[in-house]
Amino acid sequence: MGVPILKQEDFLIASIQDELTDAELLNLRDQLVAKCRQYRSRAVLIDVTVLELMDSFAARTLRAIANMTRLLGAETVVVGIQPEVAMSMVQLGLRLDGIIVAMDLEDGLSILRSRSGKKHASSA
Amino acid sequence: MDAPAHRRKDRSLLAALNIDDEEIGNRKRFLQFGDDDVARLKSIGELSERYADEVIEEFYRHLLSFEETRVFFSDPEVLARVKNAQKNYFVRLTEGNYDTDYIENRLKVGSVHERISLPMKAYLGMYNFYLRTVFARLSETYRDEPERAFSAFLSLMKLTFLDIGLAIDTYIESRERTIGRQQEAIKELSTPVLPFRDGILLLPVIGMIDSFRAAQLTEQLLHSIRDTRSKVVVVDITGVPYVDSRVASHLVQTVEAARLMGSRVIVSGVSPDIALTMVTLGIDLGRIETVGDMQSGLELAERLAGYKMVRVETEAR
Repeated sequence: MGVPILKQEDFLIASIQDELTDAELLNLRDQLVAKCRQYRSRAVLIDVTVLELMDSFAARTLRAIANMTRLLGAETVVVGIQPEVAMSMVQLGLRLDGIIVAMDLEDGLSILRSRSGKKHASSA
Repeated sequence: MDAPAHRRKDRSLLAALNIDDEEIGNRKRFLQFGDDDVARLKSIGELSERYADEVIEEFYRHLLSFEETRVFFSDPEVLARVKNAQKNYFVRLTEGNYDTDYIENRLKVGSVHERISLPMKAYLGMYNFYLRTVFARLSETYRDEPERAFSAFLSLMKLTFLDIGLAIDTYIESRERTIGRQQEAIKELSTPVLPFRDGILLLPVIGMIDSFRAAQLTEQLLHSIRDTRSKVVVVDITGVPYVDSRVASHLVQTVEAARLMGSRVIVSGVSPDIALTMVTLGIDLGRIETVGDMQSGLELAERLAGYKMVRVETEAR
């Protein structure tokens, strides 16, 4: 089963529903980048609340998504990392450099809105 | 009639001490306590019943002659009751029935003495007194058969050591239970995560951090972050006596994990001493934000969470 990707104003929201295989992760990456370009989105939010496990491949794929969308002018926000997942990621030395993390969807959206507000203010 | 039914119901001591029939058998085998011992003890049963009252009287005269043990029997009513119980105990030694009920009874006697905190030395002294008094009676009765007196005495000694082992176990079990309870309490006390303001958590750490505590601290903190949706956490280490590279790496891990959940951690309470050790040891705190005292930490946290503190002007002045 693929990951549903919703378009919400300038943002894309990918809400992961179940543990993903490596192939599904790569598929998510391609879908997100394609839609990001298609809708000219400013940010991509990935909700990982249901994930009970984040291995090095998943972390790498998330970093790849962030790097690719940045080339298209969009930020990547990962939301909902659970305590156990966070702890095991730290122990495995997995990092999410270049990715904005937020507590949940609401928090992620508010971070993005405050950022865009600042951008408009500075450009004005 | 009621007594055996009641006894059968209450096996809690046996269960608490992990003593089952197999264990009882092991203990007896270890003491080489066999059927011949049972027979020998049974054979002096009549004798001990005859002398029971006398021995008990002597026994309490001895106990009451010491200040330390006298305090336990200041009430004459209590004294009469324990004398009776003591007699039962004594007679039971030579009843010839050393089954599970017997063991349970011995454990119960032990736990009663533990509860009134009778010192172990007094307990052992009582056994010693029994052995000596009984030996005197035995050698008197079997004056012409010293062999018989001696073998009966040895059997009694084996049984007494079985009893002593059980009594000591009840003492140890109770102490261990207390230690376990205290450890639980310490565990709960040691890492309180306090909501300071909406969106700000405060985690004061007091005392040494070992790896067990560090793991627990991290777990509690991360769950509290999720449950309260806090954006900023102040970890105050004023009460931590020293920080070595292990403690530092725990801190770094905790901060990194909190960051992955979208929360910022400020470490406060870095004393000059700790700062010096960290620099000397070359500990890399990575991207952790640190401040000197908890006040600075809380002020920084408020600023990050978007609070602005304003002192209210007082009208009086």
